[in-house]
Amino acid sequence: MTITAAHTSEPILSVKNLSTSFFSDRGEVKAVRGVSFDVYPGEILGIVGESGSGKSITCMSVLRLLKANGRVLDGSAVFEGKDLTTLPSRQMRALRGNDISMIFQDPMTSLNPTLTVGEQIIETIRAHRQVSRADAAKRAIELFDLVKIPSPSKRLKSYPHEFSGGMRQRVMIAMALSCDPKLLVADEPTTALDVTIQRQVLQLLKELQSRLGMAVILITHDLGVIAEVTDRILVMYGGMVMETGRVADLFESPRHPYTQGLLKSIPDLSSGEHQRLSPIPGSPPDMLHPPAGCPFAPRCTHAMGICTEAVPQLYCAGDTPVLRAGQAARCWLHHADAPEVPEVNAREHEGAA
Amino acid sequence: MIGYIIRRLLMMIVTLFAIITLTFFLMHAVPGGPFTSEKQVLPEIQAALDAKYHLNDPIWLQYFNYLKGIAVLDLGPSFKYPGLTVNEMIVEGLPVTMKTGVLALLCVVALGVPLGIVAALFRNKWPDTLVMVFATIGVAIPSYVVATVTLYIFALRLGWVPTFGLDDWRGFILPVLALSGFWLAFIARLSRSSLLETLNEDYMTTAKAKGLHPMQVLFKHGLRNSLIPIVTVLGPVVANLLTGSFVIEQIFALPGIGRHFVLSITNRDYTTIMGITIFYAAFLMVMIFIVDMIYLALDPRIKLGKASS
Repeated sequence: MTITAAHTSEPILSVKNLSTSFFSDRGEVKAVRGVSFDVYPGEILGIVGESGSGKSITCMSVLRLLKANGRVLDGSAVFEGKDLTTLPSRQMRALRGNDISMIFQDPMTSLNPTLTVGEQIIETIRAHRQVSRADAAKRAIELFDLVKIPSPSKRLKSYPHEFSGGMRQRVMIAMALSCDPKLLVADEPTTALDVTIQRQVLQLLKELQSRLGMAVILITHDLGVIAEVTDRILVMYGGMVMETGRVADLFESPRHPYTQGLLKSIPDLSSGEHQRLSPIPGSPPDMLHPPAGCPFAPRCTHAMGICTEAVPQLYCAGDTPVLRAGQAARCWLHHADAPEVPEVNAREHEGAA
Repeated sequence: MIGYIIRRLLMMIVTLFAIITLTFFLMHAVPGGPFTSEKQVLPEIQAALDAKYHLNDPIWLQYFNYLKGIAVLDLGPSFKYPGLTVNEMIVEGLPVTMKTGVLALLCVVALGVPLGIVAALFRNKWPDTLVMVFATIGVAIPSYVVATVTLYIFALRLGWVPTFGLDDWRGFILPVLALSGFWLAFIARLSRSSLLETLNEDYMTTAKAKGLHPMQVLFKHGLRNSLIPIVTVLGPVVANLLTGSFVIEQIFALPGIGRHFVLSITNRDYTTIMGITIFYAAFLMVMIFIVDMIYLALDPRIKLGKASS
């Protein structure tokens, strides 16, 4: 699917047809339904979606950090030639925090309140590297320096509650970077922070990514964040990939009604005119009973009969001329027999926005 | 730190003083006295007894005399057991109570916490069900029922253990079982729910995401945090177990201090009531103080002296 011409190298992570469900008393919650994507070395891939779209669960499935009632039912996630879904847990442990590390949404609750931040970083280093405590502490000081925490050697002995939210997220980032990961998964890293702090943390992430050359998966529901730092986007809805492509392409020429709806719901402050925000009416599907057709169909203004009956395939750049290189959209309107809806499938769509 | 400890100790003395005063006057407000009984005592003898124990003095004088005694840790003579002081009663009874109490406490901590952990780790599987069934039974059945039923089966019927006394190790089994049963079950349930809650915390996911060994995740990150509520109840549990139980000491005929407390009330044995109340109160306060100190070690978010300053 999302074969991008721009990428000559092999993907560092290749997720294929991943399906994850949670089993509760009420039944099976199909959180992720056949998600596929690639992450290439040194790029930032953004995964966007509303809460419940399956974006976090996709990454938690890849890292095998699902809660006890969650199970990966199908698919594979190949990281450097190893399928993470079937890797023995000992080898999986050796990867986590080492080659693949993760930053979580809420730095208030993601750090252990009873251990010093230094200890929490040192134990990570020592879980993966044969180094003395003193050397690990030295490395931790370097890391604090790297994420711009002032007076690092002193702060190492502090407890999480002695830091502000932004500083705690820097601690989390330092911890995630402690073993020079090749892939960093950042799950809504700025959502729990103040707006002014969000920017700083985002800038830091971007800066560290280009300096250290690692690949980053950035999960967010904030399109502003996406526009600012990512190279490619994956738009998720109802546990599926709705549209994917390079950031510029998706912002300029979105080819899925959902992506278009998302973009219309961003306030445009630069235009100067008073504009009404147009939110997408309706609410996300109930994943206990996902719709048989396109999950977005009930909220889609262009929905046709087929949309509620069968899930469309992910149409790629070659299938229809409107999709740019590396772009793909899961919408029946890209089917050869679909009626023309100018803003979605017409080749020229000047009046769309 | 030192300042805080001194402040706490001073507060304990003030509390103890309040307890002494309240108990003293309440006790004297209750009709009757140590030497009023069904048997008719000659008025001269009554007068002589009252004089000997200063019961004719005005109440405030008795109170100050008593406080003077407390100041030098003298709890006075027992009114009911001539020739025996309350200090002696405590010194004699305490080791017996302590021995069974410490054993019961060991059972509670060494079995209750691990059972709770096992139940939490095997949530909704058979080990959890098994532990929870026993824990529910343990909480539901009163200690005197456990004591009498086990006594009947294991001592009387099967003859495996003696019916009373602590002459050899087998004598301890039933009293310790009866004494620890409730708290063992209680701590097991508490440990389970506390650990389950901790396992759901975000930092547990972080610990796993860092690639730590599952044992390290569980013990270093999970257990310490889930111990906080357990330590909270452990303070009163320790005081409860180590000060003995009237019922258990009565059933197993153990010469501990637990039974003195109840008997002294029916006997109106003023000095014994006072002495044992003060001893219990002081013991409980020290235990709570120790719990607070353990908190400090467990949870760095707890700051010293914030509440009192």
